[in-house]
Amino acid sequence: MSDVRQPLLKVRDLEVTFHAHGHAVSAVAGVSFDIFEGETLGLVGESGCGKSTTGKALMRIVEPSSGTIELDGTNVATLSGKVLRAARTKMQMIFQDPISSLNPRRRVKDIVAEPLDCWNKVQGDERATIVHDLLSKVGIDPVVYGDRYARQFSGGQCQRISIARSLAMRPKLLICDEMVSALDVSVQAQILNLLEDLKAEYGLTLLFIAHDLAVVKNVSDRVAVMYLGKICEIGPADTLYESPAHPYTEFLLGAALEADPDSPMHSQTLEGEPPSPMNPPSGCRFRTRCPKATQKCADEEPLPQEVAPNHLVSCHYPLTITHKTPTPTAVDG
Amino acid sequence: MSDEKLLVVTDLKTTFDTANGPLPAVGGVSFDLERNETLGIVGESGSGKTVLSRTIMGLQPRTKVSVTGSSVIDGFEVVGASENDKRKIWGTEVAMIFQDPMTSLNPVMRIGKQIDEALRVRLGMDKAAAKARAIELLELVGIPSPQERYNAYPGMLSGGMRQRVVIAIALACSPKLLMADEPTTGLDVTIQAQILNLLDELKDRLKMSVILVTHDLGVVATRTSRIIVMYAGRIVETGNTRDVFYHHRMPYTKALLESSPKVSNHSHTRLVTIPGRPPNLLSLPDGCAFAPRCSYATDQCHLVRPELEPSTEPGHTFACWNPLPINVEGALA
Amino acid sequence: MSSVDLVEVQILEGSRKRGEPLGVLFWICVGWIALNVFIAIFANVLPFQSPLNQDFTALNAAPSLHHLFGTDDLGRDILSRVAYGSRVSISVGVGAMIIGFGVGAPLGMLAAYRRGRFDAILTTVMYVMLAFPAIIATIAVLSFWTPRSLVKIIIVIGVASIPLVYRVIRTATLSVATKDYVIAAKVQGATDRRILMKELLPNIAPIGISFLLIGIATVVTLEGALAFLGLSVTAPTPSWGNMINEARTILQINPWLVIFPSLALCLFLLCLNFIGDRIRTHFDVTEVKL
Ligand SMILES: Nc1ncnc2c1ncn2[C@@H]1O[C@H](COP(=O)(O)OP(=O)(O)OP(=O)(O)O)[C@@H](O)[C@H]1O
Ligand SMILES: Nc1ncnc2c1ncn2[C@@H]1O[C@H](COP(=O)(O)OP(=O)(O)OP(=O)(O)O)[C@@H](O)[C@H]1O
Ligand SMILES: [Mg+2]
Ligand SMILES: [Mg+2]
Repeated sequence: MSDVRQPLLKVRDLEVTFHAHGHAVSAVAGVSFDIFEGETLGLVGESGCGKSTTGKALMRIVEPSSGTIELDGTNVATLSGKVLRAARTKMQMIFQDPISSLNPRRRVKDIVAEPLDCWNKVQGDERATIVHDLLSKVGIDPVVYGDRYARQFSGGQCQRISIARSLAMRPKLLICDEMVSALDVSVQAQILNLLEDLKAEYGLTLLFIAHDLAVVKNVSDRVAVMYLGKICEIGPADTLYESPAHPYTEFLLGAALEADPDSPMHSQTLEGEPPSPMNPPSGCRFRTRCPKATQKCADEEPLPQEVAPNHLVSCHYPLTITHKTPTPTAVDG
Repeated sequence: MSDEKLLVVTDLKTTFDTANGPLPAVGGVSFDLERNETLGIVGESGSGKTVLSRTIMGLQPRTKVSVTGSSVIDGFEVVGASENDKRKIWGTEVAMIFQDPMTSLNPVMRIGKQIDEALRVRLGMDKAAAKARAIELLELVGIPSPQERYNAYPGMLSGGMRQRVVIAIALACSPKLLMADEPTTGLDVTIQAQILNLLDELKDRLKMSVILVTHDLGVVATRTSRIIVMYAGRIVETGNTRDVFYHHRMPYTKALLESSPKVSNHSHTRLVTIPGRPPNLLSLPDGCAFAPRCSYATDQCHLVRPELEPSTEPGHTFACWNPLPINVEGALA
Repeated sequence: MSSVDLVEVQILEGSRKRGEPLGVLFWICVGWIALNVFIAIFANVLPFQSPLNQDFTALNAAPSLHHLFGTDDLGRDILSRVAYGSRVSISVGVGAMIIGFGVGAPLGMLAAYRRGRFDAILTTVMYVMLAFPAIIATIAVLSFWTPRSLVKIIIVIGVASIPLVYRVIRTATLSVATKDYVIAAKVQGATDRRILMKELLPNIAPIGISFLLIGIATVVTLEGALAFLGLSVTAPTPSWGNMINEARTILQINPWLVIFPSLALCLFLLCLNFIGDRIRTHFDVTEVKL
């Protein structure tokens, strides 16, 4: 985790505003972060906070209203036409719903070869070999199942096929949007392990979007916490979970249920629900639910400040970091 | 009367008659439930949790299904009872909360009216009394400004608020048993914590029993006193929550616990996976349904199905020919 | 390295079968339609009598060996007139739908895929067109656009059907275009054309084909209705519609003249509708069947 590495992806002041029924919905309201080569950045937050929109804006599936998205030195936000299509192949996205991510009327091997076919990269035997390799890598027997239609597979298998497809163009960055939320725990564990293996093998960099805090902790090097279109805290996974600096992160972690009867019950729960992104509160967006909020929080928007190495928090009154070292001790009781 | 068990289920079987043959969704389940107790039913998708909880209440499609065994709620035998008789206990003895709050509420009816209806039809209250009681119920489930919300339509409420309304409707006729089928799946962690706290609190306040059906081990870990683990339509292990979590004997329970990611894990912890997929209920093996995926399986497991047998702790039973050794405390953490 | 977990792939139950089986009836219907089309195309080659030839020895005759379906009031052979009549009816049906689908379907797909202003304007125009009842518009145009000919009838009905086709195809495309696999294709660098052809078209084709068949059936009926009002092809060219129309006046004397063309029309419509419906349910992969 040295700082000399160059970020693969550099996002600055990304904003996405939707216009629905005459209202402007500011789904992503100025988000900045870096993802370094080979690392996994987790993105967590409540429903509607703008996680998916951030991921889609990076891929330019939704249009960012402002900001820069620098991938490997090129600003993806300003590209268009064929250059954009080419740039997209360096990034890939895996979606939440495994079944609807695959065209039910196409054969598995054609689905996996689709990116190759789009670019007319390879034909014939070479194409078949690549598809064969990819499918074997994700644990689907290409000989037996390559000719089957996508609709004949279960959710976990569909997600494997999606992964194989996303790797066909050898992307550098993989954006996983809730890719395991629709799966059962046992299948979820299989897919998460597979992702870790492939990440190492293909040298991938991941943006892992999920609402499940435990899943995110297990796969991420660093984690960003989003609230109402803004990142409120970003830092190394272990330190951030052990000693959150933003009050919202603390509540979020307190609400996470651990599969352990002896896990501490947090007496304090976050009341109410996030405000509407149509008219977000002034100043700090969390202030309406924050027990520590003061007048300053309403007047001034908190800027990201470094509370520990690599650990940024946007809060006027951050919680004190209890463990300065990034090596956590086991949490119990 | 009151020292009698609230619910006694004996050898309950639900078999669907499908185009591909009989499908034993619940294959012989027996358990009982004390008054003012919270019982958790956990299992992967398709293990029969929903079918079991519906069969217990006598809610099942009229055709293409056969139910045998017995389910006695507070002295009333549900299996074989006429629709009219069952209607007498629905709402007053037992009520149900469904997973999707949007589909269990009528979108074109004011929420107040939906609560009123139950009160007026079932309890014969007059209009004014019903309205007063409905507002009381909305307040009970923690809906802010219930007077105004009484006139709101479901679409105007958030998911968490809708689930509170669903709970209010379920509580309208003060049932003794509340069945909650995945009441928080699809809700955010912070909202999930609110709803679970609410259920916990209402259980004590109204002296109800609650059956919490979920696939999420985190939900049942701290909120239940007893747990049933289901696999392929049968109970494979049951006991006090702590015993099931810390002294489980059935390898499936162990695998399920180990494969779920935990917040306390370090980042990049490799998850333990269960190989393969849940069995096909249409062609269950003769022996233990888990045997094909079990690393402890022997010939006997494949040939003869194990019955539930007691473990050392009171009330703790498991179905396994090769149970884990009694002291497995270290297996967790 | 690749500690890929063992995956026992189990094919989901029943998913081998694609929807409902087509069944024998379906193939009988297909056969009947094929026969109709064959006769329509080769009516002048096949050993039919001339449809205009008048046999004065047998006016209003009942079916006999010489005239299998009998003759009309001018002594013309009904069998041959039904056969030649199918030419007009089927070509109006098919021709109009070629125009309707040729214009309506690509526009509908593009509008649903592109969305935005293109979609908004086009959809408004189409809905304005839909607001005029197609039949009245058709009658109005055909009354003024004389002399009437087969081509003109095809053009008028074809144009009138464009908004209907547009609406059906646009709705079908909309439900597919929001699926993740379409976004996934985009993300892989697929061009819009490729997405339209590879991802969207195969998924809306069953609905399109089924609507096409039902559309042909509807237009054939419409031609009958126009003939009834005297707005279709002019006599003596036979069409199923104008045969029934002519027969109306002499129904008591010669029931054969109404029975056979009606029967031909009904069977044709019934078969088309049945085939259309079967195709839709058979190729429906979106419904999960438990
Ligand atoms: N196409 C759209 N038009 C208008 N508003 C949109 C659109 N897509 C998303 N939004 C709004 O933007 C906000 C952020 O949505 P987004 O889907 O990014 O949230 P999320 O964090 O991914 O939530 P979830 O956990 O539910 O997936 C929400 O308020 C949503 O209603
Ligand atoms: N009406 C029905 N007809 C036929 N089979 C059914 C019917 N309802 C449920 N099943 C089958 O019964 C089995 C158990 O389903 P059930 O819904 O109880 O699972 P579950 O444990 O609640 O799963 P989930 O976590 O996905 O809700 C499944 O295999 C399902 O396909
Ligand atoms: Mg999302
Ligand atoms: Mg269920």
